Amino acid sequence: MDFIDYYKVLGVDNKASTDEIKKAYRKLARKYHPDLNPNDLEAEKNFKRVNEANEVLSDSSKRKKYDEYGKDWQHAEEFEKAKQSRSQHARQNTGSGYTYSRSGGSAQDFSDFFESMFGGGSAGFGSGGQRVRFRGQDYNAELKLYLKDVYTTQKQTLTVNGKNIRLTIPAGVEDGQTIKIKGHGGPGIEGGPAGDLYITFSIVNNTTFKRDGENLYKTIEIPLIKAVLGGEIQVETLTGRVKLKVAPGTDNGTQVKLKGKGFPKYKKEGQFGDLYLTYMVQMPKNLTPEQKSLFESLEKTNLA
Amino acid sequence: MKEEQYISVKTFCEHHGVGESFVRSMYEYEILHIDFEQGDGKLHLEDLPLLEKMVRLHNELDINPEGIQAIYHLLGQVESLQQEVAALKRRLNTLK
Repeated sequence: MDFIDYYKVLGVDNKASTDEIKKAYRKLARKYHPDLNPNDLEAEKNFKRVNEANEVLSDSSKRKKYDEYGKDWQHAEEFEKAKQSRSQHARQNTGSGYTYSRSGGSAQDFSDFFESMFGGGSAGFGSGGQRVRFRGQDYNAELKLYLKDVYTTQKQTLTVNGKNIRLTIPAGVEDGQTIKIKGHGGPGIEGGPAGDLYITFSIVNNTTFKRDGENLYKTIEIPLIKAVLGGEIQVETLTGRVKLKVAPGTDNGTQVKLKGKGFPKYKKEGQFGDLYLTYMVQMPKNLTPEQKSLFESLEKTNLA
Repeated sequence: MKEEQYISVKTFCEHHGVGESFVRSMYEYEILHIDFEQGDGKLHLEDLPLLEKMVRLHNELDINPEGIQAIYHLLGQVESLQQEVAALKRRLNTLK
């Protein structure tokens, strides 16, 4: 466990007045406050450190003890037992205490150094002597699913921190989409409500289709003769094979739309996007002498 | 309107020790919606965490309502940029 120089943390001299400490603290709190730095763990860490420094230096008895023992803090407890105030003033419950919903952890996470020197932490930042209830931490989780899995609405059971959560995943969720499950985050502190669980879907596409929202895209090969004369082909969709008519004289790169054969529309039951197929005309190779002769005959007809 | 889904502005202000004018300014700056139709303003519980966050900025960091409005818009931009970066990172990973 390392000694923490709280004066250095706040960037003030060890002779700094209460006002100077307050000013330095406010300045740093504005910089690192979790509400102003969403999803920034480094800022959260700094905020806790600044908060802890202020907890000690803004409290005259704690500051006195800290100044007195400094780096010899490990022996402080032995001498101090009798006058240990153990942050009683900050633990007084004035009865108010509505829920504070601080994102990204509470201000109560003090360092081992602090705990060892002053005992358990008080309510901390901005509490002004009130007992403050904190909302639990929000959890973030990633759920990996295959594209075919999210073609239909499905129920899954997740285990988060030993708790089973039954989850309905609506068909058509997007890659990277996040859903919130209320009250399944970290437990609240001092009776505060639990945080929320955010699940981000990572959709792995191991199919031959490209997905863009509710539409699917695929390039398929068709034989030259079929492109010239037209006819019927069978194509794969996500739900099975379908028959498709190819018009005579179909160009390479022609795109056709199969209405309603795309991906389900999110939270619009029974509605689907479209499947777009692009034809890639295959050139015949390794012709037999007979086939070659037929092409030569065709050439003589001056076919454009 | 289900009564339990709302909290009165008066109750909120008493608990948090803020003036009703502060909450009204959050409404006027279109940060959240408050139903003032039936006399005492009512706040939807869904908006409670947001208003509590604004109260923290006001009380803990001495930020005035005008500053809070600016922060609210900037935080919205930060969060949407973070989501965009995360989505781009995911797409980049699929290309690797």
